[in-house]
Amino acid sequence: MSAPATTRFSPSAGLSRWLGSHLSLSIGAGILVFFVLIAIFAPLVAPYDPVLQMADVRLTGPSLAHPLGTDNFGRDMLSRLIYGTRIDLQIALIGVIFPFIIGTVLGTVAGFFGGIVDAIFMRIIDIILAFPFLVLMLAIIAILGPGLTSFYIAMALVGWVSYARLVRAQILVLKNSDYAIAAVSLGFSRTRIMFRHLLPNAIAGSLVFVMSDAVLVLLNGAAISYLGLGVQPPTAEWGIMVAEGQPFVTTAWWITLFPGLAIVVLAFGFSLLGDALGDLLGVHE
Amino acid sequence: MSEPVLSIRDLVVRYHGVTPARTLIDKVSLDVGKGEILGLVGESGSGKSLLCRSVMGLLPSRALKIDAGSVMLDGRDLTAIDSAEMLHVRGRKIGMIFQNPSSHLDPVMKIGEQVAEGIRFHEGATREWARSEAIRILEQVGFPDPERQYDSYPHEFSGGMRQRAMIAAALSCRPEILIADEPTTALDVTIQAQILDLLMNLRDRLGLSVILITHDLGVVAQTCDRIAVMRDGQLVEHGEKRALLADPQHEYTRMLIGSHPSLPATGEDEEPVRAAIEKKKTGALLEVDDLHVEFDIGGSIFTGGRKTFKAVKGVSLQVMPGETIGIVGESGSGKSTLARAILGLNRIASGHVAFDGVDLAQQPAKALARLRRETAMVFQDPLNALNPRYTVGDTLREVLKHNGTPSAEIPGRIRELLDLVHLDHEFAGRKPRSMSGGQCQRAGIARALAVNPRLIIADECVAALDVTIQKQIVDLFAELKERMNLTLLFIAHDLAIVRNLCERMVVMYHGEIVEEGPTDLVFARPKQAYTADLLAAVPDIDPDRPLLAPRAARPPDAA
Repeated sequence: MSAPATTRFSPSAGLSRWLGSHLSLSIGAGILVFFVLIAIFAPLVAPYDPVLQMADVRLTGPSLAHPLGTDNFGRDMLSRLIYGTRIDLQIALIGVIFPFIIGTVLGTVAGFFGGIVDAIFMRIIDIILAFPFLVLMLAIIAILGPGLTSFYIAMALVGWVSYARLVRAQILVLKNSDYAIAAVSLGFSRTRIMFRHLLPNAIAGSLVFVMSDAVLVLLNGAAISYLGLGVQPPTAEWGIMVAEGQPFVTTAWWITLFPGLAIVVLAFGFSLLGDALGDLLGVHE
Repeated sequence: MSEPVLSIRDLVVRYHGVTPARTLIDKVSLDVGKGEILGLVGESGSGKSLLCRSVMGLLPSRALKIDAGSVMLDGRDLTAIDSAEMLHVRGRKIGMIFQNPSSHLDPVMKIGEQVAEGIRFHEGATREWARSEAIRILEQVGFPDPERQYDSYPHEFSGGMRQRAMIAAALSCRPEILIADEPTTALDVTIQAQILDLLMNLRDRLGLSVILITHDLGVVAQTCDRIAVMRDGQLVEHGEKRALLADPQHEYTRMLIGSHPSLPATGEDEEPVRAAIEKKKTGALLEVDDLHVEFDIGGSIFTGGRKTFKAVKGVSLQVMPGETIGIVGESGSGKSTLARAILGLNRIASGHVAFDGVDLAQQPAKALARLRRETAMVFQDPLNALNPRYTVGDTLREVLKHNGTPSAEIPGRIRELLDLVHLDHEFAGRKPRSMSGGQCQRAGIARALAVNPRLIIADECVAALDVTIQKQIVDLFAELKERMNLTLLFIAHDLAIVRNLCERMVVMYHGEIVEEGPTDLVFARPKQAYTADLLAAVPDIDPDRPLLAPRAARPPDAA
């Protein structure tokens, strides 16, 4: 905070807006960096092996030796949580990046060319959207067999539709803008117009959506793992940890609470970042 | 002047979002007399709209505050009363109409009900009585069949009729003052003339006082009794119309009057022009022959039968190298479609477009390649015409690179282009958002020049700009035309600009060319009644040349 004497000269409303936008940016980025560091240095910061079963300390509450307690196999919850960060960040990242790329490219192409190309893509999207998201995910994973790879493939096959629709709608508007017509009249190639002129202007909304989508993917990953189709035990992953703690939720609350909290905090970080990104890119203008 | 109905005294409005607060309205004092039309003139950002919004208590942001001064209406200070009382002033004492009738009418509410709404709210009238009142008002503002049109929705009407509906809604509670904020800017000249005529008519019949906000001195000269000129939040000059126009005291007013395009250019010499046209009877640069352009409008594979709209119907045109041709017409006359068809941006239904002898229909690849390399377009909305994520330098660099300029020469060429359009070199690093409309348009012209074009098509390229900026851009075109021997196709709805810039003009109506010829001749002796109407509807800055009245025929050339 600046001294009273200087605040008189600083643009008060502008300052608070600046702080507001950059505050969420710094908090969001801070949370994300924190988790990334933990994931990278998991072996250094985790006090125990995440799958090591210590028979004598089953279901003990938080203590000095085990700050977050232990689960029914006597595994240290803090260590599992720390190693789980690696898997969950990976899920959020890979689960978002492929749908984002596929959806953006297909949406751009559909919006730009219109006509029959657009009609085909839109009908495919309609078909995908006709099924409940999780049901479709489960069906694909059931065919491919349980595991993270199947989860990523299923995400890529189903998740792109939101990005495609988002980008297509933007492109439909932008392709009639004067600068797009100017680009056509100057003889630039279609690819250039699509990806150099239209896409950079259309993508801001999708970039913000990536952040909130990362939260959804994280929760989906947790749900899929919870159902036993994602990450397989004994691997530490937050969703599985919540699932494993479920039978003991009345007697050993710490098993479900801490992984649940971790998911919430990471999700919070992502959405703060999304908000700040939206402000910076001028999506809300 | 009779006793004032509304008097504004030393009004100060400041924006408190920054420190120190920025003054947007600086001690403006103004009176509006009963039955008077006051013209409030100024460029965008001069504070004329804000002044009227302050009067209505409708400041667009909470950071804006009236810091000093008073607005007296009926012995009450409007700046001091609370918002409940203000509700009675709005609509009942002061009505307001806006520039864009389509966005200020509720699209899902019947026209009649939007008029009746105010009557029911302010006068507590019954539904039936409000309906009959509304029908009476609709008739008053010129709806031909108000009984039936009461139940129509805004989208069923043209822009002019919508503006009439908005005036009807504003008049519904018999206000004493009507504030009209650029009421005709979005309309064609002929419609504009009708709406202005309606406003004057209403003033005469209802004894209404009108504050007419406009940037067009012609409109003011034709309709107003007194003129107030605003600039940067200050009232620079005000007074009786004729006195002010004849003898402007302030430098800025003189500049505004000087920029108005309806003044005939001084020292007009027609001989060289005539000679130039004679001289150029050689090969045409652009030949358009019996061109038709159609658009599909609905009709699907299920209902059968494609419906088409014929936007351009059999247009033929020859453009000689170095010539400047103005294409004029009202909105929907097909002038922009024609331009886009010439550049190969719209599909041609039938007919021929040949650029420099290469036919677009017969050799599409070759013709398109040449068109793309040797023609360029300048657009209406300068901000929308530039990619918002590119700096001006990026935009120019891309074009230059695409046209095979060696990379080493590009920075030099960019500076050269910026010089040509009189932009500082530092603009190469700026994005459109940080530039004014005029600067963006200059950048747009620089982009067009970057291809070294033989033909430039300018589509309404000054319509979105302030008058003084308009003049600068038109002057720039005139200069470039001289220096680079450009061929220019200048599309405009503003006839006065065409007259100052173009040697030859083409008048379009419903997709057809109704008249063409040397500009001076067309202006002096229009052959078609439509052209004559169009010319007569242009509000002249001379108050003694009344709107829509036949003008005195110009003396024939002393040949």
